[in-house]
Amino acid sequence: MDEDILQDFLVEATELVDQLNEQLVDLEQSPSDRDLLNAVFRGFHTIKGGAGFLGITPLIEVCHRAENVFDKIRNGDVEYDAVAADVILRAFDVISDSINLLNEGHRELPENNPTLLKELDALTKGQLAAPVAEESASQPKLSLPADVDPDGDMTDDEFEALLNQRDQLGGASDVEVSQAEKALQLPEGLDPDGEITDDEFEALLNQRDSLDALHVGGVSKTPSLQLPEGMDPDGEITDDEFDALLNQRDLLEMSAMAEPEEEVHVIKPVAKPAVSKAQVASDEEDGSSAGASKAPAKPGTTESTVRVDTKRLDEIMNLVGELVLVRNRLLTLRTTQASGEELSNAVANLDHVTTDLQTSVMKTRMQPVKKVFGRFPRVVRDLARKLGKEIELELRGEETDLDKNLVEALADPLVHLVRNSVDHGIEMPADRIKAGKPKKGTVILAAEQEGDHILLSITDDGKGMDPDVLRRKAVEKGMLDEMTANQLDDKDAFELIMSAGFSTAEQISDISGRGVGMDVVKSMITKLNGSIDIHSVLGEGTRMSIRVPLTLAILPTLMVSFGEDNYAIPLTSVQEIFDYEPEKTNKIDGQMMVRLREKSIPLYFLTEWLAPEKVKDDYYGDKVVIVTIGNQRAGLVVEQVNGQEEVVIKPLGMMLKKVAGYAGATITGNGSIALILDLPGVIHRFQ
Amino acid sequence: MNLDARQKLSSFQAVDAGLDDDGAYAGPSARCVLFTLEDEIYGIYVKKIREVLRVGKIRQVAGTPSHVLGVINVRGVIVTVVDTRTVYGMPRKPITDLSRIIIVELEEEQTVGMMVDFVMEVRDIPESRFEALSSTKENASRYIQGIAHYQNNVIILIDVDNMMMKLT
Repeated sequence: MDEDILQDFLVEATELVDQLNEQLVDLEQSPSDRDLLNAVFRGFHTIKGGAGFLGITPLIEVCHRAENVFDKIRNGDVEYDAVAADVILRAFDVISDSINLLNEGHRELPENNPTLLKELDALTKGQLAAPVAEESASQPKLSLPADVDPDGDMTDDEFEALLNQRDQLGGASDVEVSQAEKALQLPEGLDPDGEITDDEFEALLNQRDSLDALHVGGVSKTPSLQLPEGMDPDGEITDDEFDALLNQRDLLEMSAMAEPEEEVHVIKPVAKPAVSKAQVASDEEDGSSAGASKAPAKPGTTESTVRVDTKRLDEIMNLVGELVLVRNRLLTLRTTQASGEELSNAVANLDHVTTDLQTSVMKTRMQPVKKVFGRFPRVVRDLARKLGKEIELELRGEETDLDKNLVEALADPLVHLVRNSVDHGIEMPADRIKAGKPKKGTVILAAEQEGDHILLSITDDGKGMDPDVLRRKAVEKGMLDEMTANQLDDKDAFELIMSAGFSTAEQISDISGRGVGMDVVKSMITKLNGSIDIHSVLGEGTRMSIRVPLTLAILPTLMVSFGEDNYAIPLTSVQEIFDYEPEKTNKIDGQMMVRLREKSIPLYFLTEWLAPEKVKDDYYGDKVVIVTIGNQRAGLVVEQVNGQEEVVIKPLGMMLKKVAGYAGATITGNGSIALILDLPGVIHRFQ
Repeated sequence: MNLDARQKLSSFQAVDAGLDDDGAYAGPSARCVLFTLEDEIYGIYVKKIREVLRVGKIRQVAGTPSHVLGVINVRGVIVTVVDTRTVYGMPRKPITDLSRIIIVELEEEQTVGMMVDFVMEVRDIPESRFEALSSTKENASRYIQGIAHYQNNVIILIDVDNMMMKLT
């Protein structure tokens, strides 16, 4: 049992958690979907299995109970309604958090909240969850601190807490005693030899399961609390027994303190040597130290991994093989001083192989945007329920692929925007009806590929934003003077919400609170070379569009130049290239246009901006490059077109980040620097 | 020398090799790269400097502020080059054989190149030689961290982080 197995478990569990996140919300929509129900059941079961193998007790406890609940639901004994969903989702959060903690390198999980476990058990029994919650709320003082971890070496605080509780307990009601037990609970069946085999452990798990089943069967009044083996199975604990337990812990603690601490891997079910030396031989102690774990969490052992189809790997292997062949060929040609033709054949071959290899390797990094979208049904559901709103979330274009780094980096800004839409965009059901809208609000989260960019949009049919309120706020905040504010067009007014310092809590009510942290969202998106765009109509809704590059690494471009200066235009935006003929252009409303197949397209003379010294008389350049920006077309007049080149995007550095019109720079084949044009920025410059 | 400035200076790497004009030990010192603009001598803590380069081809970038000369390729990294003369309000001067680009490292792994007239030497300057400047508006706008009188010269110590932050 080692770190490798744990890592494997974590990879699997992380995936399952992602799936469950989505499935659980889907299930609430269609609770009778048997396939879904089975999938959810299997999900919890699989995590429990893995956690059981590794002895991660808190995780087992929750998964086991959740699994029980779903077993009942499957059999039709329990209904999966909103109340049940709340409890299950909370349990799921515990599991998800635990997996995250383990992923982050923590090896010690907090003990579960007994209330949650009780609620889960109540669910299994078909009882309503609500009364249980009340009951436990009425006696919060008496519940044993959840952080009494079963680790064998109690801290003074924990012990103190225990003692205090015992005092308070006095007459020791069933519930409380059982809770105390729970804190002391341990995997039974451990040999006191400090070693445990997989078989033993497997047996242990089964025991736990059957024990639990027993409780469910009604032996114990508090089925959530597993009796440690060795206790009378009569469901009753005498004060004597309880004291004995406490004393044992006491002894254990002293012995642990007396012994030099030895590192025991947290989740390794190996009894601590201290235990046996202290000769506290009861089952309880063995277990408690086994679950146990002093081991400091290994910091930062998490690997970030990508799952790659074996077929894709084979493809890459094959291409690498090809590459080696080409290299050998070239090496031979060098020694034999072969003819130019042979050499050029070999180089052409090399060209092909590298291109294919590049594509294949890039593909291993691509992931469907579903990975980010998957969490939103849950986010929206919880928030809508909390706010008392009715909201339907529609996901579009989940299969769109983008770079793994982007998938991860986009998660936070998107959560923020979706929350904003739900919280401040969509109105309360009553208000919606008053406004003549359907009671249920809609939030659409969409992704699509748009040339070399991915376009993500969050659209709601809520109340929209009032540009006048925004203008006024900006003046009140002293960010703008009144004149400037009044001159802002609506679009610029909306952008105000993304300026730092615009948002404060007090605005939430009157400007639909969209300023909260929007500046942070904006800076995150900018960091990804992306842009964010706000469109809002008062009373009708708001649409936030985020554009990010498909990948952060390599970009196919069209190289254009003015004299010696090279510029790269993202190739995916380029539609066609033709010669610039001044007689085919005309000026409409102050804007130069060129006619192309009966359509007028605006012309922008890049020469004026990039190489003003070259503009002579009426000369602006020789070529027109027609590009698409969003759903618009534009013609860029350049001096020369040099052809295609794939470039590695390099950032321009902080000092030039604010200069509009550049997406970055790159180093060309001959070692010189070419600037990569950012088309929306370029057009903006000219307008 | 006021206390604040002293603390500020000693937070940088101090080298105990600083000798006084007459060769006597003069306490801890700061190692600086000295360079000139016009007739003035400037210094930057050596700790802030990655390297000093001869001037190669600088790619101009249209639309940048006047103090930006352009970008250069430093082993695959694009580095912005700032004309230090322009920053200090001096007229631009053609690049000569003596011109150098000092690559400074800023926070967050950013690097910026500073075009200077001439790089003199690397020298340990005793901290006791530094004088804090009165915090006038003019000094603040000149990104000056302090001034040292050393071996008959006046050395103006530049606060590069502050300078580049303001220029960004």
